[in-house]
Amino acid sequence: MSVNDQDVLLKVEHLSMYFGKGESVLKAVDDVSFDIKKGEVFGLVGESGCGKTTTGRSIIKLYDITSGNVYFKGILIAAGKRGYREAIRAAREEYKASAKTAEDKEKLDRIVAENREKIRIADRAHRNCDKEYAKAQVKAVEEKYAPLLAAAGEAEKAKLLQEYKAEREKAKHERIVTQMQMIFQDPIASLNPRMTVKEIISEGLIIKGEKDKKLIEDKVFEMLELVGLVREHASRYPHEFSGGQRQRIGIARAVIMNPALLIADEPVSALDVSIQAQVINLLNELRERLGLTILFIAHDLSVVKYFSDRIGVMYFGKMVEMADSDELFAHPLHPYTRSLLSAIPLPDPIYEKNRKRIVYNPLAEHDYSVQQPSFREVRPGHFVMCNDAEEEAIRKELEQ
Amino acid sequence: MENKMQVRDLRVSFRTTNGKVQAVRGISFDLAKGETLAIVGESGSGKSVTSKAILGIQAANAITESGEIIYDGKDLLKISEEDFHKIRGDKISMIFQDPMSSLNPIVKIGRQLTEAMILKGKARQKESRIKFKTYLKNLEQRTAEALGSDAAAKSEFSQQCKTFSDFEYKHVHMEGEYNRAKEAAREADGDIELLAFELEKNAAKDVKYRVNNICDNAKISIHEYVVKDEAEQLQKLVSSAKEQIAPVVKGGDAAKLITALRDMQAILKKALALDEPDFFAIGYYLQCTGKELPKLPIPELNEQLAAQMGENFMASFHEKAKKGITHSAALSYESMERAIDALKQARPTFEREKLDKAECTAAVKTLSAAVGETIDPLAIVKDSLSYTFAPGLKAEVARYFDSIGKNVTAQKRYERQKRKHDRLVARGKEPDWKVAEASITDLELVKANVVRLIDRQVQHYEELLAHRGERDYDKETREAIDYLKTNAKGEAARVTQRIAKDRAIKLMEEVGIAEPRKRYNQYPFEFSGGMRQRIVIAIALAANPDILICDEPTTALDVTIQAQILELINKLKAERDLSIIFITHDLGVVANMADRVAVMYAGKIVEYGTAEEIFYDPRHPYTWALLSSMPDLDTKEKLESIPGTPPNMIYPPKGDAFAPRNKYAMAIDFEEQPPMFKVSDTHYAATWLLHPDAPKLERPKIISDRIERMKSKRGENK
Repeated sequence: MSVNDQDVLLKVEHLSMYFGKGESVLKAVDDVSFDIKKGEVFGLVGESGCGKTTTGRSIIKLYDITSGNVYFKGILIAAGKRGYREAIRAAREEYKASAKTAEDKEKLDRIVAENREKIRIADRAHRNCDKEYAKAQVKAVEEKYAPLLAAAGEAEKAKLLQEYKAEREKAKHERIVTQMQMIFQDPIASLNPRMTVKEIISEGLIIKGEKDKKLIEDKVFEMLELVGLVREHASRYPHEFSGGQRQRIGIARAVIMNPALLIADEPVSALDVSIQAQVINLLNELRERLGLTILFIAHDLSVVKYFSDRIGVMYFGKMVEMADSDELFAHPLHPYTRSLLSAIPLPDPIYEKNRKRIVYNPLAEHDYSVQQPSFREVRPGHFVMCNDAEEEAIRKELEQ
Repeated sequence: MENKMQVRDLRVSFRTTNGKVQAVRGISFDLAKGETLAIVGESGSGKSVTSKAILGIQAANAITESGEIIYDGKDLLKISEEDFHKIRGDKISMIFQDPMSSLNPIVKIGRQLTEAMILKGKARQKESRIKFKTYLKNLEQRTAEALGSDAAAKSEFSQQCKTFSDFEYKHVHMEGEYNRAKEAAREADGDIELLAFELEKNAAKDVKYRVNNICDNAKISIHEYVVKDEAEQLQKLVSSAKEQIAPVVKGGDAAKLITALRDMQAILKKALALDEPDFFAIGYYLQCTGKELPKLPIPELNEQLAAQMGENFMASFHEKAKKGITHSAALSYESMERAIDALKQARPTFEREKLDKAECTAAVKTLSAAVGETIDPLAIVKDSLSYTFAPGLKAEVARYFDSIGKNVTAQKRYERQKRKHDRLVARGKEPDWKVAEASITDLELVKANVVRLIDRQVQHYEELLAHRGERDYDKETREAIDYLKTNAKGEAARVTQRIAKDRAIKLMEEVGIAEPRKRYNQYPFEFSGGMRQRIVIAIALAANPDILICDEPTTALDVTIQAQILELINKLKAERDLSIIFITHDLGVVANMADRVAVMYAGKIVEYGTAEEIFYDPRHPYTWALLSSMPDLDTKEKLESIPGTPPNMIYPPKGDAFAPRNKYAMAIDFEEQPPMFKVSDTHYAATWLLHPDAPKLERPKIISDRIERMKSKRGENK
């Protein structure tokens, strides 16, 4: 995709997540690719069971993904191995069927070695991305201080050394995955009822290795105020709060880690209208103030439209359309998107009573007997899942 | 329009450790037949409490302080649990908010769906039989009275009633068979269309099962009035289609199977286009003449038989029944006049300073009898007020006399504890408990309630008497005959395990569950949230209710499913003339569903009107706030959220409950509760802003903008 890699915070390549084995395999996410740029809100919509939440959870490494790569800040943080294994298997089959000459054998060995290397990298990325990141951070600190230390005089050196040690210690505990945080759908189920609000919010910091109690306390208070609660709330338990306040606690818990990417999995679906507005306003404010990048997963299209810069539409594990939110709502191209848009209820009785819902039937809409569809860019920044024939039709339509 | 349900001055509180939470504070509304009433509001505004009170499933600590919920001649707040069994789930059904907790986790979905159908099926059959027989008996009796000395006519009518009962049953059974065949044909037709299409696209699944199912249905559709002449041909096609299953499943060419299916479809389509025979007339013909049916095409047959029945039976039956119904109504009116006298006479008994128990009991007895007499057993629409009068009166009077003793005990208990408490305080200790207030029933209020009950009954009778001349007995007789027909049908409709399963699977399909046959045998935990919600909806619809209460049914679902479910509910509403109470906070959904909207806040209805009035001309600041806090597709500016939280209902605010969160609040809003101001005949709002002295305020710009924008959008769509 033609985006400047500098701006890309999260890059998802051919992500697949399958559950189950053999015949009963469930392709929850199937070959999904997208980028999220820094400071952007990317909305993911689709009906329940289409793999939105699975995508979010795969990115944050709550699942071992089946295949594909996830890059965060340019670092490979998750990779699937299924594709490589299949490549090895295919090469072996081919070899068995071939004349088994020395040349064939060589080719097989080469493919096997290549893919094994890839599997190794994937394994490593999966297990060690945090350590590697910490190492890199430590290295950066070392590099930063080495010339300073060398240049410094005796008197300064002791002070500088102390600083250097503290910073190095901190860098050691840096984890790349903690820079992605998640807000969960259900504010009641996602907060531990036996922990106070302070414990809930500070838990991440403590796990990360923060020991300074004063600093933790200050940070918790700062977060509480940031999300519109007050200090006194810190010693209370989750059940003492209303739904909207609980969701604010969830947001504070995520934001305290100073994340670069926030994965908001239906953060407002379980809330009342008036509180929905409060939480959306809060997220908007945080985004402006902290420069957050947000992956916003929701099924309420009005909210997604209001909140997101770009939107990806998912259908049965596949991304079928992706575009800027205004563009998507103005020119929906994939029939599923059209059907989705036609189902949005608006607060206007006369309009509502005349609204016609478009029904999406994949069998009737597409003829993929000749060619399978792929994800194509039909307009700058506007991607649609289609095959050659459909692409032509879409282009024609767009010209008009 | 006919009122299905009336809720009057409902007050519900909850006893909690911190005090009494006043969840619902005197709400009243009517629900007309075939209407959707949406109740909108934040959580904690008392929406769900209201709906639970209607269903009689309140929490154990709930107290119904006052009010009436009148449905089908009964006050749901006063009837026994036993009687409620017949209504709950059957007549009034509910779709719950939380699909997790409303399904039984250890019972398979199929069982949960069919359980009620089978149980209720039997009960309904019994009930329908009783209703049919009682009504016919009453009709016979009243008509006999009306005919007076004409013995010949009397015996003729009683013979006619017997005949009617006989051939009515016959007709129902014949019609049942016919409907089954026709339904099977329709289903097979639809299934073929889908399967053939999928086969052509090479994407069919479950071919064996589906073809077998189609073949079964095709066989069932062979019936005298459905597929008759081409029965043999259809049989052949069925066997040829079955032969083709094995090769197609193995991956062979499906062309032959498709041709066979399409041929079948052609036959079925032709059969479906046929006219429906008039089974009522056929039943009569077969029963009364004992002859074979004449061989004629259906339209002519219908005409001839109907004419014959009309001449020989219906006209005279109708005429006599009309006499009976008119007579019965006249009797009822006469007793109404008597009842008015009795009520007026008894009124002073309940107005005394101190009521006399013997006198009151006697008055209750005479009044109950007098009002009971006014009930017309032949009226199809029940006179709810008269039915609920006697139990209501009895309960109130009993409450008065019970409370006298109870008040004394409560007062004594309070004083004793207070003394103890005071003693401790006097000794300089701080007791860690408080003395709860004595719960004293206001006797004056109970007395006023009784008098109000009597006054209302008198007023009701006077109204009825005033409209006496406007009744159309011809129409009522037709309705009575229809009533008999419906109940006869209900009696004949038997629900077996197989029928229940078929119906359940069809319902599952209707609510959009893929592979319902597989899903039928699964447990609730195997379903996703949206799927579970659909099961809950299917269960609620399975009983074929009169009134459907939907408590945020689509809040947990995504738009496409939400749209499907709403369409489904709307479709059922149109088909079955269902009355719906729809509780939600999603105003988009309200706009889609509602005929009328009631906005609730802090246990009170703050605004109500038709959907158009609420959306295009909202008056209450809370409605404004709700409307402007949700984004639509064109919203760019910051959303206007409502600051703060709803008030603590243990100490309800003195003035308008919304005032502390209301940026348009005036001084009086904090002092006094606003009454309902009338905006139009159907539109009322409780806000001081509508008072003539209030400053004129424009509604927020965000709402006006949206109305304008939607107007232009609609313009484009036309």
